Amino acid sequence: MVELRKVTKRYGPHLAVRDVTLSVAEGEVLGLLGPNGSGKTTLLRMLTGAHTPTSGQLTVAGFDSVRQPLEARRRVGYVPESHPLYDHMRVRELLSFMAALRGVERRAIPGAVGEVAESLAVKDVLEVPIRHLSRGYRQRVAIAQALVHRPPVLVLDEPTNGLDPRQIIETRNLIRGLAGRCTVIMSSHILSEIARTVDRVAILLRGGLLTVRSMAETPDLEALFLSLA
Amino acid sequence: MSALGVLLRKELHAAFTSPVAWAVSGVFLLVAGYTFSLSLFMSKVANLTYVFHQVYILLVLLVPVITMRSFAEERKAGTLELLLTAPVREIWVVLAKYLSCLALVAVMLLASTSYAAVLALYGEPDLAPIAGGYLALLLLASLLVGVGTLWSSVTENQVVAASASLGTFLMLWFADSVAYILPAPVDLFFVNLSLLGHFAPFVSGSVFLSDVGYYLTGTLLALFLTTRALADR
Repeated sequence: MVELRKVTKRYGPHLAVRDVTLSVAEGEVLGLLGPNGSGKTTLLRMLTGAHTPTSGQLTVAGFDSVRQPLEARRRVGYVPESHPLYDHMRVRELLSFMAALRGVERRAIPGAVGEVAESLAVKDVLEVPIRHLSRGYRQRVAIAQALVHRPPVLVLDEPTNGLDPRQIIETRNLIRGLAGRCTVIMSSHILSEIARTVDRVAILLRGGLLTVRSMAETPDLEALFLSLA
Repeated sequence: MSALGVLLRKELHAAFTSPVAWAVSGVFLLVAGYTFSLSLFMSKVANLTYVFHQVYILLVLLVPVITMRSFAEERKAGTLELLLTAPVREIWVVLAKYLSCLALVAVMLLASTSYAAVLALYGEPDLAPIAGGYLALLLLASLLVGVGTLWSSVTENQVVAASASLGTFLMLWFADSVAYILPAPVDLFFVNLSLLGHFAPFVSGSVFLSDVGYYLTGTLLALFLTTRALADR
C-alpha cells in the first residue's frame, strides 16, 4: 500500500531523512519509533504530501507522491501532532468542509459525516464549536476529519501526546479497530504505546532507518531499542 | 462543487465574519465619507478626485491588515497542513485566499459608490474620471492584496506580514523619488515602478494599457510567487 525507496529529505544543509526504504502492507499498523529529531515527523509529512522527498521514490496505493501528488494525497488521511482544527467552525461544518475538500460528492457528504461521527463517537458534539471541545473530543474530531473521505491510509503523528490515560487507551483501541480495514502509520517516542498498538515497528535514528521488526517477534522492544540507539 | 469553490466559500465566510473585516470596513467608510463630505462642501465641485486619492492612501494602510491573516494565521494554528495535505493544487488555496480578501475590498469600494450616486443625483458629474477612478482602485486593490497575500505566506507572524506588506507598498509608492538621483535609463525603471504614477492617470479619466498592465502584471507575479512559496516544501 505504501512504498518508500531510498527516500531522502534535506532542508538546506540539514539531512532530516536519509535513504529510507520501507514498505507497508494493506491493513497493517506500522509504528515509527525514535527519539526527538530522528526524522519521524519528516517521514510522515512526506507520506501525506505536506513535504516532498529531495530524492528517492514514495508511492501511496501505487501513486507517486511527486508525479501524481493529488492522487496520492486523496488516499491519505492525516492527523498532525497538535490536532490543529478550525476553532471557529462547528464539528459538522469542519467534517463537511474536509469531506468536500477531499473529493467526497456533495450528496454523499451528510452520510459520510454521520458515519464517521458515529464510528468515532463524536455524534453528540456535531453542532458544538470546536473551540469548546475537550482535549479528548478534539483528538477524536481530528481523527474523524482524517477518515471522513474513507482513505486507505491513515497517518498519525504522536497520536497519544498530551492525552490522559483513559484517552490513551481509547486511542489505542481506535487504532487497533482500524487494523485490517485501513493501513495505519503512526509515530511515537513512547515505547510502551508502540509495543501495544502496532503490528510492526520501524526504528529511526538521526534520519536513518535502523531496523523494521514484527511485534510478534519482538518480545522486548525496550531492549531492542536500547541495543540499536 | 470544485475544490476552488469549497475553499472560496470557507475563505469568504472567514473574511466577512472576522472582527478585523468589520473594523477595517468601518474605518474605511468613516474616513472616506468624511473626505467626501468635506471636499464636496468646500469645493462644491461634482467630482471624486480628492476622494480617490484619499482612498488610495486608505488602501495602502488597510490592505495589510486584511491580508495579514491569510496564511500566517493558518500557519501558526497548524491548519495550513490540513489544506496542503488535501488533494488540491496550491494555486487553488492561494486564489481562494486572494479572492476572498479582494472581495472584501471590493465590497468596501462598492459601498463608496454611494458618493458617486449622490453627485449624480444633485449635480452633473463627468462620469469618465469616476469610472476610471474606480477601475484604478480595483486594480490597485488587486495588486496590494496579491503582495499582502505573498507576505502572509512566508511567515506565521501576522504583525510581520502586515509590516512587510506596508513597507513594500510604501516603497512602491515612493519608488519614483529615487529616479532623481539615478542616471538614465535606470531612472525610467524606478519611475515605472511607482504605484501612484500608474494610478493618477485613471483618476483624470485616462486609461492606458500600460497602467492596467502594471497592476495586472504585479498581481500575477505576486500570486505566482505565493504559489511557489507554498509549493516549495
